[in-house]
Amino acid sequence: MPFYQPLTPEDIKQIDDTAHRILEDVGIHICDGVFLDELKTAGAMVDYDSEWVRFSADWLGEVLSRAPSRFTLHSRDGQKDLFLGEGKVYFTNGGRVFRLYDAEADDYRLTLLRDVAQTARLVDHLKHLDFYIIACQAHDLAPESYHLNDFYHALNCTTKHVMGGCDNLDGVRQVWELASFIAGGEDKLREKPFVSIITNPISPLTIEANTLNILAFCGKYGIPVTCAPAPIAGATSPATLAGTLAQMHAESLAGVAITQVLAPGAKVLYGAVPAIMDLRNMEFAIGSVETGMMNAAAVQLAKLYHLPVYASGGVTEAKKPDIQAGCEKTLTILLTGMVAADCVHLAAGMLDSGNAISYEQYIIDNEVIGMVKRVLAGISVNQVTLGFDVIKKVGPGGNYVTEDHTIEHMLDEFFYPNPSVRLNFDIWQEAGQPDMLSSARVQAQQILQDNKGDLLARDLIRNAFQGIQNV
Amino acid sequence: MSDLKALIEAVIKGDISTATAETQHAVGTGHNAQDILDKGLIAAMDEVGERFSKGQIFVPQMLRSAKTMQECMKALEPFFQEGSITSKGKVIIGTVKGDLHDIGKNLVSMMMEGAGFTMFDLGVDASPERFVQKAQEIEPDIVAMSALLSTTMPSMRLTIEALKEASLRDKVKVMIGGAPVTEKYAREIEADCYAPDAGSAVSKAKEILGIS
Repeated sequence: MPFYQPLTPEDIKQIDDTAHRILEDVGIHICDGVFLDELKTAGAMVDYDSEWVRFSADWLGEVLSRAPSRFTLHSRDGQKDLFLGEGKVYFTNGGRVFRLYDAEADDYRLTLLRDVAQTARLVDHLKHLDFYIIACQAHDLAPESYHLNDFYHALNCTTKHVMGGCDNLDGVRQVWELASFIAGGEDKLREKPFVSIITNPISPLTIEANTLNILAFCGKYGIPVTCAPAPIAGATSPATLAGTLAQMHAESLAGVAITQVLAPGAKVLYGAVPAIMDLRNMEFAIGSVETGMMNAAAVQLAKLYHLPVYASGGVTEAKKPDIQAGCEKTLTILLTGMVAADCVHLAAGMLDSGNAISYEQYIIDNEVIGMVKRVLAGISVNQVTLGFDVIKKVGPGGNYVTEDHTIEHMLDEFFYPNPSVRLNFDIWQEAGQPDMLSSARVQAQQILQDNKGDLLARDLIRNAFQGIQNV
Repeated sequence: MSDLKALIEAVIKGDISTATAETQHAVGTGHNAQDILDKGLIAAMDEVGERFSKGQIFVPQMLRSAKTMQECMKALEPFFQEGSITSKGKVIIGTVKGDLHDIGKNLVSMMMEGAGFTMFDLGVDASPERFVQKAQEIEPDIVAMSALLSTTMPSMRLTIEALKEASLRDKVKVMIGGAPVTEKYAREIEADCYAPDAGSAVSKAKEILGIS
């Protein structure tokens, strides 16, 4: 049940109507002749000179109705499957950053393939992170072998569902070949896809050939996919939140619709990564309060079409896991969580407007997400939780510490934070004055130290895929 | 002869239609073109720069003013002999091959144009050959490249190699930028300079050309 809904039903209607007008009167720039033909054949209005494609409201409605409103993002072991479209909220990290903040050295370095493996191990062990997104760019690899290596090492380090960004057809093909092999065949992967793909249109209103190829490929082979617009209010979309939402809604619906034309029934998520530009100095501000509000609104817009949604929250402009990071992350994760987004991505690990990660931040954000999940679980009110009997039993002046009622409910009622410090002052001093960051550092190191094994049959897979590198 | 106050105000406001009308009016009432440029347009842009650096106006307003000045310049051009309006330098700019993201590149281009550079924009998905061809044609001072995707960054290196092969590399300065681009990468591919954002692109460009 959503707790926060920034848009009224009338607001939603106006934004949806405007998105329809955008798609009917302006259109989407489709940068590929073959796809223009396909869309024309399917009934879209195509202008070959401008390469702009327009969709009538009726056509759009019919095509969107082919998209499934529920599907599952499978985990490799079947233990942590994600059931989209059922009102559950799942959180994950964010992807494809290029820099890492090393808290111990208090310095930054470029990310490596090893960081893909390590962040996957962290996500595998962090309870509140429900799936893994390929976290960073492997600077020690050539771009041609990113995807094979990224997904191999991710799948080798977590059994949770793995999602990743793709830039081209060759990349998604590498992912599919590897995942099919691991699944034991193309059909088995199609039946229970444990990988999925993120691709993006370019705001405003442009979808390039690589993206279309990825959507077509994923649709054909049953790999869940999202085509997630990332408009920046004031730069690549209107400076008004409503205007940005209308444009983003048009872009998101176009991505879903085009995928349904290419592969009817394809498992596609409505994508949303709206953010703003700080127009004082043109700094990208995805940790802004408006980012949280717009992502929540985007979820309402997706639900209008009963589409599972891939929304965003948990990014910060802060360069380190600091106070600003804590404020910005908590606010946007909370807002996007409270509207009951199916998937909230970028929710863990991110720093520097989505350009950097830190291992410690994964631990800290896991905690924030845990608290947000506690919020979502709500306050359970019934005769047992109201506790009249135990109140009567203890009576005035007693205490509840050793009561059965306490012991029966203490595990379910409370969220137990971990890197957050809850210590008596003297004990805290004796412990060396730990704080959330120092505790997170210890935990991250511990997880990585304790988990070094391969989850996949290493030799078998490496024999089949020569391009896999060591980390 | 009226003063140029109304023109200056219009440029500061970024009011293109009033500013161009005021420019015509100034010409019509006997101002010479050099005065209109120096005491009107440039004086206005100095004030804009001042207000921006104090945080009194934001980037969109500054860019609007720069655009307004350019429109006014069009009205003044007939009064200048060809080549007598000095440009800070000629710059070819483009998003590299394989990449269609252009907001960053466009901002850099607008900021540099506003600062007095003459920009030649190759748009997006610009191949090394197109950079070379344009460089042969216009003999620029700077070749500026942008990439948003880590997978398209290698096009920057290829473009620099293509400039070398065409014996153009030592005649131009190469500037690069874009979210995944770093100072280190710039050094690796032997670019002359890396600018982390649109504002610093202007100062970096001036720096590598040795102008103020």
